Formats: sequence, structure tokens, C-alpha cells
Amino acid sequence: MSKPKLQARQAALSFSEKIKLLEKLRDREKLIAAAGLRRKAPRAAADEKE
Amino acid sequence: MKATLEIINQMQADGIIGEYAIGGAVGATFYLAPAATVDLDIFATLPETSGTALVSLSPIYEFLKSRGGIIQDEYIVVGDWPVQFLLPNNTLEQEAVHQAVSTDVDGIPTRVISAEHLVAIALNTGRAKDYSRILQFLEQQAVHPKTLQEVIDRHGLSAKWNQFEQRFLKGSR
Repeated sequence: MSKPKLQARQAALSFSEKIKLLEKLRDREKLIAAAGLRRKAPRAAADEKE
Repeated sequence: MKATLEIINQMQADGIIGEYAIGGAVGATFYLAPAATVDLDIFATLPETSGTALVSLSPIYEFLKSRGGIIQDEYIVVGDWPVQFLLPNNTLEQEAVHQAVSTDVDGIPTRVISAEHLVAIALNTGRAKDYSRILQFLEQQAVHPKTLQEVIDRHGLSAKWNQFEQRFLKGSR
């Protein structure tokens, strides 16, 4: 499915359904942050090596 | 979110806050496809207090702390959401709260700032993420152009809107 079509489909969901999706996205962000999986900016990575 | 809104509604019923409305990214989600956010922005008025010009968020924080709220930087965690309470500090934000749209989340009544007011507030705030949100509203045709123009004109944001158009929309329309 194309991005605009997916956006349109998600935009048409009820607010309650969208909030559930938001909470899933938020929890995923938290997990990624906690696991240290965020990609570092090249400069920050280089600084860490030095 | 349901638990968060129940506590905020109770706070309103107890007279700690007056009108309130959801803004920010969660508010935008009412109109757009969901985009990740970690916090809930609540624009809330305080009840009329005669004889004092001082306004404070302390009653809100005290109420929420007594119900298990935990303060984290500029947020207070209510239910499972970090919430930032914002007092409307100009006529645009006051109007936004007053004209907010009634809705519900899983049966819990709440109010969300209108799409046009969300765009106007983002325009007025003017950070990169605010401009990005305005573009989402426009791309997803989630604002009524005439109503948006009226809000922009009424609150003296025409110059900012012209700059925004020049910078981001020139050649795309």
C-alpha cells in the first residue's frame, strides 16, 4: 500500500483507535531508546571512538 | 490514555481547572494519521480567581500528585502518559480551548483543539517540528482553508503565514 493511501486509511480511524496506535508507537520508541538501538550521528560515534 | 483522561476530567469536575483541550501531537492525531509522540499536551484554563493576577499550576500538580501523579521535568505522569499542562497565554490559545471539538476516547469524554487552531498555534510557535506538522495538515487536507485563513487573520499571524508559504509552499501549489 502506498504511503498516502496508508495515511488516509489511518487518518480515517476513530480517535480511540488512533490513540491505541499512538500508544504502540510510543512503547516501541521507549523500547528502542532503552535498548540503545538509536543510530548515532556520525560525529557523536566518532567522538566515542576517540 | 483512558485513565489519564478520567483523572483530568475529575480534576475539572472538582473545579481545579476550567475548560481544557488536547493539543500538540496527540491533538493532531485526531485529524491525521498517528505519528509517534511521548507526551500529552493539555491546554487548560484556571477557574476565575478574583483579586489576584498570579496564576500557578500548583493546584493542578497538587491534585495530580495526590492521585499518584509523578513529576518528571516539565511533565507530570498521569495514568501512563507524561502530561504537560499549558495555560493559554494569548487570545489564540484561549479561543482554541473555547472552540475545541468534543469527542471521546473509549467512551471517556474529552475535547481536542480544532485543526485550524492547531495549525495556527504551530505557526505561532514556529519550531521545525511545528512547521512539519503544518505541512502534514496541508498534505492530508485536514484543515478548512477559509476557516484557517480567518483564524490567521484574526490573531495577527498573516505575516508569519506569508513567510511560511514563501519558505515551504512556493512552487508546490
